[in-house]
Amino acid sequence: MAKILIIGAGFAGHTTALYLGSKIGRKHEVTVVSNRDVFSYLPSWVWVGVGHMKPEKTVFKLKPVYDRKNVKFVHAAVKEIHPDAGDQYVLADEVATGKETRLDYDYMVIAPGPLLNFAGTPGLGPENGFTHSICSYPHAIKTRDAYLALCERMKKGEKVKIVIGTGHPMATCQGAAFEYIVNVHKDLVKKGLRDKADILWLSNEPELGDFGVNGVQIKRNGVVQKSDEFIKSVFNDHGIRYQIRAGVTKVEEGKIYWQDYEGEEHVSEFDFAMLIPQFKGQPFKYIGKDGSDVSSKLVNPAGFVLVDAKYGLPYPELANTPEAWPAKYQNPNYPNIFAAGIAFAPPGPISKPFTNKNNVAIAPAPPRTGMVSGEIGRIVALNVIDAVNGREPSHSERMSEMVAACIASMGDNLWDGSAVTIVMRPVVPDRKKYPNEYGRDLFVSHLEMGLSGAWMKFLLHHTFMWKFKARPGWTLIPE
Amino acid sequence: MQQEFSKAEKFWMNFKLYQLWRFIVLNIKVYTVAMMSKGK
Repeated sequence: MAKILIIGAGFAGHTTALYLGSKIGRKHEVTVVSNRDVFSYLPSWVWVGVGHMKPEKTVFKLKPVYDRKNVKFVHAAVKEIHPDAGDQYVLADEVATGKETRLDYDYMVIAPGPLLNFAGTPGLGPENGFTHSICSYPHAIKTRDAYLALCERMKKGEKVKIVIGTGHPMATCQGAAFEYIVNVHKDLVKKGLRDKADILWLSNEPELGDFGVNGVQIKRNGVVQKSDEFIKSVFNDHGIRYQIRAGVTKVEEGKIYWQDYEGEEHVSEFDFAMLIPQFKGQPFKYIGKDGSDVSSKLVNPAGFVLVDAKYGLPYPELANTPEAWPAKYQNPNYPNIFAAGIAFAPPGPISKPFTNKNNVAIAPAPPRTGMVSGEIGRIVALNVIDAVNGREPSHSERMSEMVAACIASMGDNLWDGSAVTIVMRPVVPDRKKYPNEYGRDLFVSHLEMGLSGAWMKFLLHHTFMWKFKARPGWTLIPE
Repeated sequence: MQQEFSKAEKFWMNFKLYQLWRFIVLNIKVYTVAMMSKGK
């Protein structure tokens, strides 16, 4: 009987756990260790952040689901990983008791989600800073409370400044921030307060609508349309000001300091700001048999797990090497360790990076959340099953082959709401397979805005909560 | 380059019957492309 340990229970880890539990959970020991005992449906936090959805509707307890799926659950915070052959284990502190627990493994999947690196930008974040975030459950609730308090001030006639976007020159997840800014706009319109708010989109993207994936391009009526034109139209229509190519370097009370491509320093004032922090890998200790630090064999300096990618290529070469992106998500030094979701180290950025004269790199990091996370989680589960059965991992899907669909909410109301439906193939452009300027399949890729998107977003919330609860037919629902 | 949505575009974005059609089409499209990776 093999022992399989999964660190993390987000989109990637939970997907891996459900597949492993369902397929081999009766014969082998599948364990999930996570410092949170609930699954969180992150995409709906944009609605929590404006008070349109109760936070408890976005979470559910993991243990009852795992009990049904032959998965053991340990509610503990991982601190050390001992990966050397012969004595492979993880040390974690149980959340309830603080007691140290040892978890032995034969195969491990590292999928703990990101470390929200608020410390990477002085003054950023809701705990030790002045800005808000919708990147965690407590943060989304705190953001909602701050936003509703701001609305009360506006009701009294006060004019306010709202800034939403990225809070680090190398932050990712612009999509979530985009959803939030448009939901804030729509909510203020509904409340009759829109004229009291000056709303600014502040982002590290090289172009509007880049979303860290080099934008989305589609062909409609024989003409190529690009997401930058589309998002520009949305912002112009909604009266949202925008500033791209901005690397936020510091935040003080009411002031955001940022640099542009030319290295010029600017200040944007705010009464309320929601800025996405930089993501880093979780700060686990990786310890060898002799007690030495073996982290260089497992993770990159940012703490993301090294997998079967081609690292170190300069951007122009990487942009033309789709096979540089990992296929099996397996660590080359420890083949029994896999990584899924945001935890794996990408070979580089998808969007064109830029470093200004002050040596500030302003470049969105590649997003590996949502559907991408789920797809990788499933691929990894199937590869672990191969390995457990004594076969070479045979399942692969590079982000340069992967299709991703995203519904970006722009108002949740089912009567007059809206959303942008985005489909892109592949996520990472492949200029060899799709020899156009964008490296994308312009027939499959899709970008459309309308009320139908709001219905789809609503449907997705309920469909995915069903799937992640492993209710009947969950495997029929794609990742 | 498009900078604002035209009145016609805005009309279709909110026209319920047309959006019901788009809802069906988009669901089929998203489901179909998402299932492409299932066999890998």
